[in-house]
Amino acid sequence: MNLMTLQRYRNELILLIAVLFALFAFIYKISANTYVKENRTEITKKISEINTILTLKKQWGGKGLGKKVQSLKTVVNTSKVKSFNKKSKKLIASYVGLTGNELNKVTNKLINLPVQITNLTIQQSSKNQYTMEFTCKW
Amino acid sequence: MVILSLMDNNNNRLFIHRDMKPVTLVNSVEIILTPQFYTFIREDLDIRFAYQAKQIAASLFDDYLDHSTEYQYHVNKCQNQWCFFAYNIEEIDQFLETIGIEKHRVSKIYFAQELESALEQPIQLSEKNILQTIDGTVTLIPSQLMERNIQFNPLNIEAEKLTSGITMGASLNSFISLKETILLSSLFFILGTIFIVEGSRTKSSVAKDEALALELTKKHSKYNDSGFRLNLLNKYQPIKKHEITKRQSIKEISKLLSSRSQLVKLTIDKHSIKATIKASDRNVANQVSRNAKAKKLSSSNNGLDVKVEKKI
Repeated sequence: MNLMTLQRYRNELILLIAVLFALFAFIYKISANTYVKENRTEITKKISEINTILTLKKQWGGKGLGKKVQSLKTVVNTSKVKSFNKKSKKLIASYVGLTGNELNKVTNKLINLPVQITNLTIQQSSKNQYTMEFTCKW
Repeated sequence: MVILSLMDNNNNRLFIHRDMKPVTLVNSVEIILTPQFYTFIREDLDIRFAYQAKQIAASLFDDYLDHSTEYQYHVNKCQNQWCFFAYNIEEIDQFLETIGIEKHRVSKIYFAQELESALEQPIQLSEKNILQTIDGTVTLIPSQLMERNIQFNPLNIEAEKLTSGITMGASLNSFISLKETILLSSLFFILGTIFIVEGSRTKSSVAKDEALALELTKKHSKYNDSGFRLNLLNKYQPIKKHEITKRQSIKEISKLLSSRSQLVKLTIDKHSIKATIKASDRNVANQVSRNAKAKKLSSSNNGLDVKVEKKI
């Protein structure tokens, strides 16, 4: 194609370049939309998953829980703590002769600790007297 | 043969006429067409723009030109009138080839009519022809018609100011007019720019999230693996759900207790939470049972004992 032909079709060439520019820009826009559509869900899911894991780990596997569960031993008179076995990340405890108030205290303390209650038995031994056994882990 | 070296001056100009001698060009040249290569009409028209004048140019030359030949038209304003030129670019091109001027060497084409004032005094183009303005129109006159002792004007065409030139390519007919080209191209460029801006904005909208995800995975690289994340979620989410259920159930059961309804037994195991509540009378037992159901706990009465259960 010589210079003259180019000059002859100068208008058509300018228009063609403009059309191609618009076309490529349109393709870019579509690809940007597709990219965002495909990636936004994935990225948002990833962020949400990581944040959830961090929160859950902090809440249900947090450090220092070993010390916190120790307070279950002192929440009532030690004479009422029949057994209190803490091994690794597991606690087996039993209480006897708890009054209604004391039972409430121990129960509230237990449910406010972020531990997994695997077993719990509360039994009325006599009027306003209770025994309590539970196993929890973290 | 005339050799023109234009290395030192890009504005060399040449009059183009039928009996000129072949030339050799080293660089580009501006040519000035003599009336042998164009037809000229001057009209006093009430038209504002050149493109409007160009639109009617073909009809003006209807009676003067051969319809079997394709002509190109050029219009420019001359004083208060419009000057119309009709020419055949292929004919000019062919002639230029015969005298050794390649078309790509022609940087600009002018019409001798533009030298109207300068040609008030005749100039000699060749032995046979003279160029002179007669009644405002530059005309090619055979030498025989002139007086023998006529004085020719030594015209320096390089020094003349020529403004209304055309190019070889532009003089050929385009399928789309310049006006349409500018309009459509502008539209397409604006459209393209809008698309690019929109695309960039769309892409940048996710950039913030991408940066946050990158920061999190950098800080906790082990969570980059989706399988590992899923395992952890499968481990911790049921714990959260079950433990919350256990705690809420304990609270709800405790709300069923009063001085007239006392807890007898409460057990929590892997699958359920069960409680036995002893009521002081049947009415209280029924009341406890209704309250339990209202709290979405399953309940059953056995005399004064109310059994309450919640599945985990």
